[in-house]
Amino acid sequence: MPNIVVLVKRVPDTNAKITVSGGSLDLSAVKFVISPFDEYAIEAALRHKEANGGTVTALTLGSDACDKVLKDAKALGVDNLVRLWNQGWENLDSNGVQSALASAIGDLGSDVVYCGKSAADSNAGSTGPGVAERLGWTSVSNASAVSFEEAGVEAMIPTSSGQARVGLNFPCVVSMDKGEMEPRRPNVRGIMMAKRAVVEVISAEAPTPTVNVVRYSPPAEKPPGKTYEGAGNVPTVVQALRNEAGVI
Amino acid sequence: MWCRLLERVEGVYMPYEGLDFYDVDSLLTEEELMVRDMVRDWVEDEVLPNIEKACSDGVFPDEWRVALGEMGVLGAPLEGYGCPGLSYVAYGVICQELERGDSGLRSFASVQGSLAMYPIWDFGSEEQKNKYLPKMASGEWIGCFGLTEPDYGSNPGDMITKAEDMGDHFLLNGAKMWITNGTLADIAVVWAKLDGVIRGFIVEKGDEGFSAPEMKGKYSLRASVTSELVFQDCKIPKDRIFPDIKGLRGPFSCLNNARYGISWGAIGAAQACFHSAKEYALSRIQFDQPIAAYQLVQNKLSWMLREITKAQLLSYHLGKKKDDGTWFPEQISLAKMNNVDIALDIARMARDIHGANGILDEYCIMRHMANLESVKTYEGTHDIHNLIIGRHITGIQAFTRTA
Repeated sequence: MPNIVVLVKRVPDTNAKITVSGGSLDLSAVKFVISPFDEYAIEAALRHKEANGGTVTALTLGSDACDKVLKDAKALGVDNLVRLWNQGWENLDSNGVQSALASAIGDLGSDVVYCGKSAADSNAGSTGPGVAERLGWTSVSNASAVSFEEAGVEAMIPTSSGQARVGLNFPCVVSMDKGEMEPRRPNVRGIMMAKRAVVEVISAEAPTPTVNVVRYSPPAEKPPGKTYEGAGNVPTVVQALRNEAGVI
Repeated sequence: MWCRLLERVEGVYMPYEGLDFYDVDSLLTEEELMVRDMVRDWVEDEVLPNIEKACSDGVFPDEWRVALGEMGVLGAPLEGYGCPGLSYVAYGVICQELERGDSGLRSFASVQGSLAMYPIWDFGSEEQKNKYLPKMASGEWIGCFGLTEPDYGSNPGDMITKAEDMGDHFLLNGAKMWITNGTLADIAVVWAKLDGVIRGFIVEKGDEGFSAPEMKGKYSLRASVTSELVFQDCKIPKDRIFPDIKGLRGPFSCLNNARYGISWGAIGAAQACFHSAKEYALSRIQFDQPIAAYQLVQNKLSWMLREITKAQLLSYHLGKKKDDGTWFPEQISLAKMNNVDIALDIARMARDIHGANGILDEYCIMRHMANLESVKTYEGTHDIHNLIIGRHITGIQAFTRTA
């Protein structure tokens, strides 16, 4: 029966207002959630287990503040919670994150890894393929649906001319897009299980970061819009759309 | 939640955030917060987009029964027999989030959990608990509670409905009125006099001589089914009586739990009205300014925040006392009375801030206002709760004018 791992990432609530002070991010008043595409990965992992048995392990990389997103995954029905962390990992770059995750996934003896196609904070989309590359595993990205075989999965992925159904043998990494698999809601029974669940903390080696953040700055303020009222302004609006906005 | 989160990524969705001026969230356990968020997300995704249609059609959508069962929130503070076993504070936040959707939805859950499941859990025989509670916790069976009669509301002790012991069965005769979930219900917990003493009976849908016609024509709680229960020589087996409980203590202990939940529910309705009023005041421009810039509007919003904050602290503290077992009924009267009262005033004030728009079903205001008129009256009217507290202060019972 498959050993299924799902990667979950703690990100700021996608509605949160992010402020920058002194060149660094101020996240002190921000609510954190599971990255939205990871919800689809959890759903795929749980359906995989429901179809073929096995166990689902939710894995995250981060400090103990990340235990909450693991507990949220537990409330949805995953079996095991594992957090990967080492002192000095506060500024790990993508290379370091992928190496550390690949090492942990190897140690967990996984057959298949599900993750979101990108995280809501960085939007980089590099974790799934990056982990697969380091492990030398088969990988597909942006899957909108998956079905489960004895020794692999079939995934629906976008192509330049539509969609393709591709087969992957274990071991493999599938990064999930929003698609046909509507993520489930938690229930009280799951929340009670989450309360009692224990997060296993493991560590790994990671290469020294080669990419360093120089400074953060907020995006430029959007210029205020213009308001026109009355039918008499139609020519003005048309001119503005053509000459200023360049959209018609 | 999930689709909504993605909409947030794409930048089209502004989520609801409950007013929490005194950081009551920091007093909630992780489990209580998770339950709160679960119900809040469900209400946001499934209830709010459909509530106006449910009200205009005058129906309680059956999928809401299914979802409440699947989430596992029915009979929240009860333990064992398939019940959730949550804290009373968790039960409170569930009621709050449901009523942020609609008082009719919260009424469904209150009646199912506090008025139908609770008496079976507390007063039922082992066989009754095993037979009914698991199916009620899962939402498969709906329950209702028959105490009020056409002529006996605040004064249930003088009820007319009676039961007769016919040797191998009981015979029930009488009528109950204003019964939430009545027509939908698979079982009714009915209070009737047996040899002049109030006793509790379980009546099942389909029992001979029992009918539950729906009451029509409500302007309030339109997404909730309200019914009469009619017993005409209704024959029920002997094992459907609660074995030991006698007198008004039975129904009143159910009402204590339901009223406690209502005190939280009213905060949810008030929060919905406050949220809408704040958003409206910030976006509505008059005299080149958002109306939120005017002192009269700020005064109203400030008063709403003040009352919601006090109500939150009242209900939270009462919830802790419920969990500790150190409460007494008059404390519940105060919370129910106060919180519904301020919620209704907040709804009215929110309507005022919304101007003419406040009467449209595009906003939640009139619906909550009309609902709260019922909530103010049911489960002990505002005045009766004042008299309960008056009796506590003076030692003099004002309803019967005897000490």
